[in-house]
Amino acid sequence: MRYLIAGACLMASVARAQAPATLPVQLSAETRVTLQRLLDSARAVGLPTTPLVDKAAEGVIKGADEHRIVVAVETLLHRLSDARDVVGAPASVFLLGATASALQAGVPSSDLKRLASTSPTSTDSRPFVGALVTLVDLIAKHVPRSVATASIEDLLRRRATEDQFLVLRAQVAQDILGGQTPEAAISARTRAYIKTLDGSQPPRSLPSRPPFANGPPQSL
Amino acid sequence: MRDDGHLPPGLERATELLRDESHVRPEWRAAVMASLDRDEPVSSIRSMRRWSMRPTAAIAAGVLCAIAGGALTFAVTRWSQPARANLAAVDTGRISRVRFTLVAPNASRVSIVGDFNQWNPTTLPMRRSSDGQTWEIEVPLASGRYTYAFFVDGRVARDSAAAESANDGFGTPSSVVLVKGGGGT
Repeated sequence: MRYLIAGACLMASVARAQAPATLPVQLSAETRVTLQRLLDSARAVGLPTTPLVDKAAEGVIKGADEHRIVVAVETLLHRLSDARDVVGAPASVFLLGATASALQAGVPSSDLKRLASTSPTSTDSRPFVGALVTLVDLIAKHVPRSVATASIEDLLRRRATEDQFLVLRAQVAQDILGGQTPEAAISARTRAYIKTLDGSQPPRSLPSRPPFANGPPQSL
Repeated sequence: MRDDGHLPPGLERATELLRDESHVRPEWRAAVMASLDRDEPVSSIRSMRRWSMRPTAAIAAGVLCAIAGGALTFAVTRWSQPARANLAAVDTGRISRVRFTLVAPNASRVSIVGDFNQWNPTTLPMRRSSDGQTWEIEVPLASGRYTYAFFVDGRVARDSAAAESANDGFGTPSSVVLVKGGGGT
């Protein structure tokens, strides 16, 4: 009996110690149980649970109903699983998140695998993460998916840096605001970057520590 | 048993043997009884067993076990909590102070929410700058990719200057910031 008590105590301690970041308290008990099952599923296959908890919290603050939150978390779980198939394991949670976001934006996994294989550095995933963030943003700005993917692939092949991808994104956004079509903007900017990267001159980049995370202050 | 009420011969003999009083040599019996009466010091393991079989001791053991479990939980939780921010720090081990700004002259309360604070609007309130137009905050972040938004007077607003995230599943787009390793703003 005493062995049983000791074992139960140990198991309870271990189970609590492995508990993930907490789900939002605003959710009902029923929804929390459902979400906890999804977290358990993620943990069972070695996927990070933090993005799933964050997604639930994001849904709460955005005022989504609980059913929608469960669907969003479940969808993200599947995206993360697919993302790991694309980039392989082990992968940082940021790389998985960026890849999952690209899948969510409609980029086929076959395209993402090709982009991942094009990425020149296997030890530093930052250029690839920067490429994916830019790709998703371009698609959100109505650049045709195939055109955006081809541009990103061209730049990845030429070892564009994370900064260069981010500058490209900002420049294309400015061009679109200036009246260019999304496709024309990305095409012109990509050509200019290819010329720079293929030439002898050092590639342009942002200062290593930009003063603003989000550029100059913007009005709502 | 047979119909006449007698056992078979083999079984009858075995029964008689069982009925016989066992014959134990007197010196063996005396030695055994002496060892039972002797007040021998017990080994520590035997002592623990006796102690743990008492009800009060069992309760005390349970309480101790709970305390130990709680301590273990606390220790592991303490180690795992910063993992959210340290996931990227594993890659670079560096933290940057990232400055977020928003022009919202008519807003009365603005904060920033995102993956870095579990979308909690109370933890990172932005402060109005001296011009009264701009809200700003510096957030220490490990390098990595974060989804975020502004929380303006109770409503979520995307940062139009930053990269847009993919469909969030809620119909309210968020923004994405990529943080590089570094030391200052």
